[in-house]
Amino acid sequence: MAKYTIENGKTITKPFNKVWIVIGIVLSLVIIFSYFITFEPSLINLPELGVIIKKMFTPKAGRTWGDYFGFINQLWEPLISTLEMSLAGTVIGSLMAVPMAILAAKNIFKSRFVYAPIRFIMNLIRTIPAMLLAVLAVYFVGIGVLSGLIAITIFTFGIMSKMLYEVIETVDMSPYEALESTGASKTQAFRYAIFPQVFPVFLSYLIYIFEINVRASAILGYVGAGGIGMVIKDNILYNYDRVGATLILMLVVILAVQFTSNYIRGKLQ
Amino acid sequence: MIKFIDVVKTYPNGTQALRGINLTISDGEFVAIIGLSGAGKSTLLRSINKMHSITSGQLFIDDVEISSIKGKELRMLRRNIGMIFQSFNLVKRMSVFNNVLTGRVAYHSTLKTLLGLFPRKDKLLALESLETMGILDKSFQRADQLSGGQQQRVALARALTQEPKVILADEPVASLDPITTVQVMDDFARINRDYGITIVANMHHVDLAVKYATRIIGIKDGEVVFDGPSSAINDEMLVQIYGRSLKHDEVLGE
Repeated sequence: MAKYTIENGKTITKPFNKVWIVIGIVLSLVIIFSYFITFEPSLINLPELGVIIKKMFTPKAGRTWGDYFGFINQLWEPLISTLEMSLAGTVIGSLMAVPMAILAAKNIFKSRFVYAPIRFIMNLIRTIPAMLLAVLAVYFVGIGVLSGLIAITIFTFGIMSKMLYEVIETVDMSPYEALESTGASKTQAFRYAIFPQVFPVFLSYLIYIFEINVRASAILGYVGAGGIGMVIKDNILYNYDRVGATLILMLVVILAVQFTSNYIRGKLQ
Repeated sequence: MIKFIDVVKTYPNGTQALRGINLTISDGEFVAIIGLSGAGKSTLLRSINKMHSITSGQLFIDDVEISSIKGKELRMLRRNIGMIFQSFNLVKRMSVFNNVLTGRVAYHSTLKTLLGLFPRKDKLLALESLETMGILDKSFQRADQLSGGQQQRVALARALTQEPKVILADEPVASLDPITTVQVMDDFARINRDYGITIVANMHHVDLAVKYATRIIGIKDGEVVFDGPSSAINDEMLVQIYGRSLKHDEVLGE
């Protein structure tokens, strides 16, 4: 706590910043937990890592470089499945999040009996990891793209509803007042005063979540949720070169998605 | 015509903002309401379009008693009353034109307006209002690219597009510089004169109130302590309204 005395003798004390307490707690937790984590340097096998990387990025014995990159030709279909389920899941999940976000926004529905239960449901859904959603979806609808789509939809819904209601709560309410003063109904005032402020941010989030989902859906295939992840799973023990080729393709696609996403979101500001 | 009869407003926290207001404002008047912050000016203004509802008494707008109306009837009332705010209350990232067009929203069903479709007649009306305010060339710029004075003109154009009988202005020039202030006040005077629209404005600057309004209403502690033509304002009256005489630089808003 810093105390300042200015020339005329008056003193003022700067209050203690509570952030330091939080930082202190986090640091002590890190130290305490590190005590319980066993770290065995002898288990690290650097030469083996090199071997695997070499296996991934050179053709397998008996195959040519032509075979290596030729494999990518077999990847278009699962790749398109991955992109499809990411896109559809992002759009469906985001649209489902819109009414929930409106109900959860304190500045629109002032009663805690509306926003509190809605937020509870939202928080509950957000606690489920995407991977678990995919496992459950595979259990209910079977192996394939549909289960990936379901997992991504629910995952998107969880993030989007939370992000969106926070945006709605920070909008400028003054035009809403102006709209009500013109005789507009509450719905009309929302449409013309709140919606124009929220919509560009919604689109920006949608594109960003799509970007996250493309990466996530590649992994979801691992538990049977279709798409390119299944290709990796099928090859990982015996065909490292195919895993490598798949990774190269995914890298290119994800970079392309990221650049496009950044570009569009820049334009939306 | 706007008529207050024994209007009282008590806020839920017990503050008595209006203590028995009796007033009649005729069509076409330019009324300035002056008084200290917290005297009840804003409450008085907002009770006219029922943005604040009154606790007791009666309030007539053209023979309709408004203290009990609600829903569609209330919205029909508000449609005829434009409102101007200190901080303009525009949607900043929307175009000037679309902001002005929102003055027509209340003329259509909710379902129609959800799609954002307006008849050509409404669009032309919005453009006419922008031309009246001298900012037609700014129509398709984003509202936040305009200066404060221009933004207040957009707000005026939005109010005009409602085709109102009355415009209420809550501290319309309080966040503008002196030069822009005069321009915007000239706009109010022009609208009052050319369209016969009644103007009721809360003002901080006594000199502006005297210069532009035809009638001054002084409010102190929720009561009318002065009501007369602006020519009748003198030091003695200002003592009544503000509790002490104003120094020269306090009267002058410039």
